Amino acid sequence: MMNVIEVSNLRKDFISYSSRSGLSGAFRDLFTRNYKVLSAVDDISLSVKQGEMVGYIGENGAGKSTTIKMLTGILTPTSGTVRVNGMDPHKQREQFVQTIGVVFGQRSQLWWDIAVQESFRLLKKVYRVSDADYNDHMGYVIETLEIGPLLDKPVRKLSLGQRMRCELAAALIHNPPLLFLDEPTIGLDVLVKLKIRKFLKELNEQYKTTVLLTTHDLTDIEALCERVVLLDEGKIVYDGKLASLQENSVEGKQVEFQFLANVTEVQLPHRREVSWEKKDGQTWIATVDGDERAVSRLISEVVQRNPIKNVRINEISTEEIIRKIYEEGMATS
Amino acid sequence: MFYVSIFFQYASQYLKTRLTYRVDTIVEIFSDLLFQAVNLIFILVVFGHTSLLSGWNREEIIFIYGFFLVPYAIFSSFFNIWDFNDRYIVKGEMDRVLTRPIHSLFQIIMERMELESLFGVITGIVIMYYAGSTLGLTFAWYDTFIFVAMVLGGAFIYAGIFISLASIGFWSDSRTDIMPMMYNIGNYGRYPVDIYHRVIRFVLTWILPFAFVGVYPAAYFLKREEWYFYAFLTPVMGIVFLSLAIFLWNSGVKKYRGAGN
Amino acid sequence: MSKYIEMIRVRFLMMLAYRTNYYSGILIYSINIGAYYFLWTAIYGGQEEIQGLSVLQMTTYVAVAWMARAFYFNNIDREIANEIKDGKVAIEMIRPYNYLGMKTMQGLGEGLFRLLFFSVPGMLIVALLFPISFSANVTTWGLFFVSLMFSFIVNTQINLLTGIMTFFLFNNSGLIRAKRVVIDLFSGLLLPISFYPLWAQSVMTYLPFQAISYIPSMIFTEGFVGSEIYTAIALQAFWALVLIIPIQVLWLLAKKQLIVQGG
Repeated sequence: MMNVIEVSNLRKDFISYSSRSGLSGAFRDLFTRNYKVLSAVDDISLSVKQGEMVGYIGENGAGKSTTIKMLTGILTPTSGTVRVNGMDPHKQREQFVQTIGVVFGQRSQLWWDIAVQESFRLLKKVYRVSDADYNDHMGYVIETLEIGPLLDKPVRKLSLGQRMRCELAAALIHNPPLLFLDEPTIGLDVLVKLKIRKFLKELNEQYKTTVLLTTHDLTDIEALCERVVLLDEGKIVYDGKLASLQENSVEGKQVEFQFLANVTEVQLPHRREVSWEKKDGQTWIATVDGDERAVSRLISEVVQRNPIKNVRINEISTEEIIRKIYEEGMATS
Repeated sequence: MFYVSIFFQYASQYLKTRLTYRVDTIVEIFSDLLFQAVNLIFILVVFGHTSLLSGWNREEIIFIYGFFLVPYAIFSSFFNIWDFNDRYIVKGEMDRVLTRPIHSLFQIIMERMELESLFGVITGIVIMYYAGSTLGLTFAWYDTFIFVAMVLGGAFIYAGIFISLASIGFWSDSRTDIMPMMYNIGNYGRYPVDIYHRVIRFVLTWILPFAFVGVYPAAYFLKREEWYFYAFLTPVMGIVFLSLAIFLWNSGVKKYRGAGN
Repeated sequence: MSKYIEMIRVRFLMMLAYRTNYYSGILIYSINIGAYYFLWTAIYGGQEEIQGLSVLQMTTYVAVAWMARAFYFNNIDREIANEIKDGKVAIEMIRPYNYLGMKTMQGLGEGLFRLLFFSVPGMLIVALLFPISFSANVTTWGLFFVSLMFSFIVNTQINLLTGIMTFFLFNNSGLIRAKRVVIDLFSGLLLPISFYPLWAQSVMTYLPFQAISYIPSMIFTEGFVGSEIYTAIALQAFWALVLIIPIQVLWLLAKKQLIVQGG
């Protein structure tokens, strides 16, 4: 299958000026300024296949937005090559953007003072979409996102959730095969988030739309993306399946036992792959270094000896995994 | 052709917005009229104390002013880019513009148009008519075409200068107050340039050629033959300056740094 | 009080940071003054004086009027309008200071910056290029600065008024623009008030605008002499006091409006 996004050795440097402190410093700045070069994106290579949904994550300032802006033709790379949909985004900008949709969660695509459908009409014209295509495709989008009743309202009267759904629809007017979403769910409530996720999934299934998503909310990624690309200080630190990220970085599973009576350590089974930790007299946590079979063997042994009130297997959340990666570095790759 | 239809699409949206805020539109037209009146008052007051300005009489100066208003009105209807740096670069609106399949400058012109400024065309023609009939000027049929060419040339010069200034924003993100001041300098092209020192005359002719948006082209209609060479240079200067500006803009877009990094 | 002084300092630093502004500003003001110098020379033609001002005085008038403008001019009307539109005013209201006072101090910081780093060197450059007469009289200078302070106050008050009007109009960019044009014309920046026909002069006596530019410029060029100077400064002081009333009234109404609309 063809690669929709093909990036190699991509780099973007910014020059940043620092100002000296105090009045005399500011006065000296009038004549010479201190500056240093920062690489916001530092030698990135990446390829995305058609129909993939990729989560692009990293802390603030890790270079997510800068990458997206280079992929969408907004910024010119300092060095390296970018080919998206077979084109050079910046050089062939006008032709290129016809094939992508972009949503910036923090910035509106729609005209503030006019009704949503007027914005749509204008965009339809801008993207040269025929009436037939528009009715066919947007009918579906409008219905699925449930924005029909909002169309005749001016954008400034919409709530954030309503606006965001309209923004998404606006980015899809020309039914682009590739969609960039930069923080699409920022500030939204859970219901709207779910609605948007469901819609994106359907879109991906129905039109094979490739989606590249950046977000702070990892549950978005968990719900949508099989593949994640993890960025730290402008470099890719992980690129692969979300599932294997979880498997690899989890140093064992945790099982929490709550017993009916107080239990001492001798009453518990001891094996090489299990270590025990006491929470209080009745509650013990076992960390198991092994797969599901080791876990079930442990549970059955414990239950045979002690009456229990509750057993819980703790999944380590993606958020924790990622925090760990940032704190300790990527151990497994 | 595509760009023409886009223009009408934007224009109709614009009118819809304008109709929503009718009071604003009226205030805006009113403030335009006031602005035009101020300059006229200046001329009238000055000629209350002298009868000739370096050999040009009151009506001739008023005629030049009337002419100036026409290209200026076209310029200010479509090239409201004096706050480009703040609005598009600092606030990052340029990101959005760059994700659409239309030339970025054209989009910004469309988004920022203020069609009510076109009212100035009428004011200008009325003023010229008044001054022209007092002076007893006569016009040939082809003068209409020459007028259109001169007006477009003048509007292009204005546009070229302001687009070039806006393009600076791509390289330097520091705020500048050059733009508002440039509007002031534009006013000096409305007076006979021979009153100025040759340095200023040179600047107004070749560097910031505002003289082509006032005295030079108007000299043609006032039958001041000594200025005909410059008068007919107006459309040429317009095309040259606009092309330079677009070139500068296009290279600026490559240097765009994005907002908030 | 110290927080207001801090605000002046911060604005001052901000202005220093915009260096492109600084270089281009001096250049452009000089071109402006230069163009006006030639325009006025042409207007005078061979005449010795018009309305009691010689060409030399007129040139000085133009130069000082523009340089004084650098001090009193500020954009706080537009800033207030933007903060109202973005809803930031509500946040400003809960801060422990007087919003209008803070805006005034910001304007003062900007003005002081321009006066020191812009008007003074600019004036020196202009004086090298064009014939300009500086008064040798210390009292004239002293009175000029007193008068300049008042022109800042009156102009800022008018800006505050226009800014607050945003609460009552949806979009007042038209009003802001109209105000600027009116001030340029009626303050005496473009033309000394004494050049106007008598009827117009008498109308302008009832307006606050000449306190902004005409009075300090006339003092500087010594177009006003003796008791004229003191009457003029008294007139400025009068307007500075009178304008407090509409500002306070509108501000009270605006705060009510803010509570009703919820910012």
